[in-house]
Amino acid sequence: MSANPGTYTPFLNVSGGSVLAARWRRERVGRALVLGGATVVLAALLVIPIFLITSILPWTPLPSGAWSGLGVLLAGTFKAGFCALLVALPLGIAAAIFSAEFSAPAFRSWFKPALEILEAIPTVVLGLIAFATLSPWLGANVGTLLALMVALPALLIAAGMAFGARLRRLSGWLPLWLLPALIAVVAVIVALVGPHQMDLIVPVSPWNAVLVGLALGLAAVPLVFSIAEDALMLIPATHVQAAFALGATRWQALKSIVLPAARPGIVAAMALGASRCLGETMIVLMASGNTPLPDLNPLTGLRTISAELAVGLPEAAAPGGAYRTLLLAALVLFALTFVLNLLAERARARMHRRADRANSPA
Amino acid sequence: MNRTSRENGGTWLVGGAAAMCLAGVVMVLVLLASAGIAPFWPSRIVDLRLGDGREVFGEIVSEASKWIVVRQSELDRAGGNYVRIARGSIADRSEPADAFAVALTDGRRLFGRGDSAVAASALGDASAPARIEETLWPNSLGYLGSLGVLVRHAGRFLFTSNAASTLVGGALPALVGTVTLVLLMSLIVMPFGVATAVYLHERRGFAVGLVRSAIGNLAGVPSIVYGVLGLGLFVHGLGAGIDRWFFSDRLPVPTFGSGGLLWAALSLALLTLPVVVVSVEEGLARIPPGLRTGSLALGATHGETMWRLLLPAARPALLTGFILAIARAAGAVAPLMLVGVVKLAPALPVDGEFPFLHPSRQFMHLGFSVYDAALASPDALRGVPRAYACALLLVIVVIALNLAAIVLRNRLRERYREIEA
Repeated sequence: MSANPGTYTPFLNVSGGSVLAARWRRERVGRALVLGGATVVLAALLVIPIFLITSILPWTPLPSGAWSGLGVLLAGTFKAGFCALLVALPLGIAAAIFSAEFSAPAFRSWFKPALEILEAIPTVVLGLIAFATLSPWLGANVGTLLALMVALPALLIAAGMAFGARLRRLSGWLPLWLLPALIAVVAVIVALVGPHQMDLIVPVSPWNAVLVGLALGLAAVPLVFSIAEDALMLIPATHVQAAFALGATRWQALKSIVLPAARPGIVAAMALGASRCLGETMIVLMASGNTPLPDLNPLTGLRTISAELAVGLPEAAAPGGAYRTLLLAALVLFALTFVLNLLAERARARMHRRADRANSPA
Repeated sequence: MNRTSRENGGTWLVGGAAAMCLAGVVMVLVLLASAGIAPFWPSRIVDLRLGDGREVFGEIVSEASKWIVVRQSELDRAGGNYVRIARGSIADRSEPADAFAVALTDGRRLFGRGDSAVAASALGDASAPARIEETLWPNSLGYLGSLGVLVRHAGRFLFTSNAASTLVGGALPALVGTVTLVLLMSLIVMPFGVATAVYLHERRGFAVGLVRSAIGNLAGVPSIVYGVLGLGLFVHGLGAGIDRWFFSDRLPVPTFGSGGLLWAALSLALLTLPVVVVSVEEGLARIPPGLRTGSLALGATHGETMWRLLLPAARPALLTGFILAIARAAGAVAPLMLVGVVKLAPALPVDGEFPFLHPSRQFMHLGFSVYDAALASPDALRGVPRAYACALLLVIVVIALNLAAIVLRNRLRERYREIEA
């Protein structure tokens, strides 16, 4: 069978039958339609940068302050993105490692859809939760949050060292058992630490980068998780079994075999997570306070490129200086995310090529 | 500390991270469910006597550890009569059984004590003209009675329109706007998505790699950029052009030259294209090659094989792509803010008037209602509960669509199992 219909001629028009001719015409029409559809997709990607560049193009100078304004927006974008990645990367990658390496298969088939539900929740809803519910709590509890960030990993490691051997049978479904314990511990820490740290760290604004980081990080976890987990699952089981046969423990096999082999996939997860965090709009719009500040203090508000576009563009008159400044900002955002996506795309392609090589008999 | 126990610590650490992700999902869903239903529950009316002798009578709208906020009778305007009371200053708190709450059609609420005759006369004190929408005696309602009121309020929220303000009345226009938008979007995206998937499946070569990486990159473009594209290219470019050619008699009032349903649907179609392409292509790849070669061997053309055999066999994947695209589009709000969503639309985008669907009209959207009620309303104590109610409705729509995709896919996969085996 020929894979390329271009080299394949289904009918030799010997009889000149009109039925065959009609079929051949239909075939060509269908082929043209398919080609047209694919061309539209390619055009859709090309049209974004072309449109953005041409609409900025008559390079008359932008209004004064446009560049410094853009700098402030970039600072805000990176501040929000960095805080969100601090949440999303550790949680997503660690959860992926657990799911791919340690969990029972039944747990995995149940855990993935649970995170897909989180991914399906519109970001405007997460923004609302951050804006209306999380922000009053965080206003009085930044210190508690810091305490949680230190205490929870330490407690988990300590508990694992103490009970891990005895509770070995639970380990495939560990997160489900840990969930109530974790909630209880968090409640205790909040009750104990909460009232005592009120005035130690007070956020400058009730809507700040820490708040954005929490909400945006949660939104980005499913993406990071699914790509990192796909990468880890691509590593052939035989590699790990070989390591076991040589006497390696699970974590030794993970550290010396699985993680290095899956590194491109994990890099892709990081890059796509970063791209997502830099470009997200609704959470930032609702939870950041929208104050354009040129600082990197996580306790102050911020304004990102995406929020500026969502708020400013409907009001900017079409060919004016403000409009062109905003389109320049959009171009910068597009370029940023495009580079990150390209990086991720190439890393994933490398990963798949490597996996194909490893899976095919030499 | 031997190696085994160190390793157990590591395992528990990554397991704990997974547990924290789960906790995030659970907390978001629980919070949404409770905060989204709370606005429909009849709140208690309290009679507070303060330490300084003042009396406060009204319904509790917000409670914190140190403060409670009470809404008193709003004689002048909605949101005009809140009091914040320190818990320490309350000398006596009672919930009289004959206390009533009167809801007016313009959103104001009046409170008083007495039977229905007194409640009907309460309107006389109000300044602006308004009709009574509902009178309730919430303190005398039992649990079941409150539940009945909740169902009635939720029904009104779902099935009535809002006349004057986004904070009063139902969410029907927003719901209709959301559904119309995503259906129109899917009409646009499905043909292109399927054509691209077929192209990727049938062809090999350099161009295929190019299209494939274009799809990957389109999936990662921030949604707001699609909004920028929609505004600049569709609204200001295409729309203004259509106006110049076909609606020049109405200029300078724009017809298609301002944001509207069609441009929003086109922007969202670009946004959801990768979802459709990826899922359809996956479905095509799963069909065993024997089916295709058999069809070709019997003399069918490539097109006939695809149209009569492969696409029907990939129906579960087509459906999955369709529903996932709808779910993704229903949650995308940022691009809409640039291409035609409004907080209060004068008319629905679908109605009984020819041509029934009005693609140039501005529309309302559930997701935008969430944003607007929470951030842009002058009365935050009404706005935030309203936003939560809209958010719950939106999430129910999106999750139901996702679940439908999963169930349908599994059922159709059962049916086509003999082909796939």
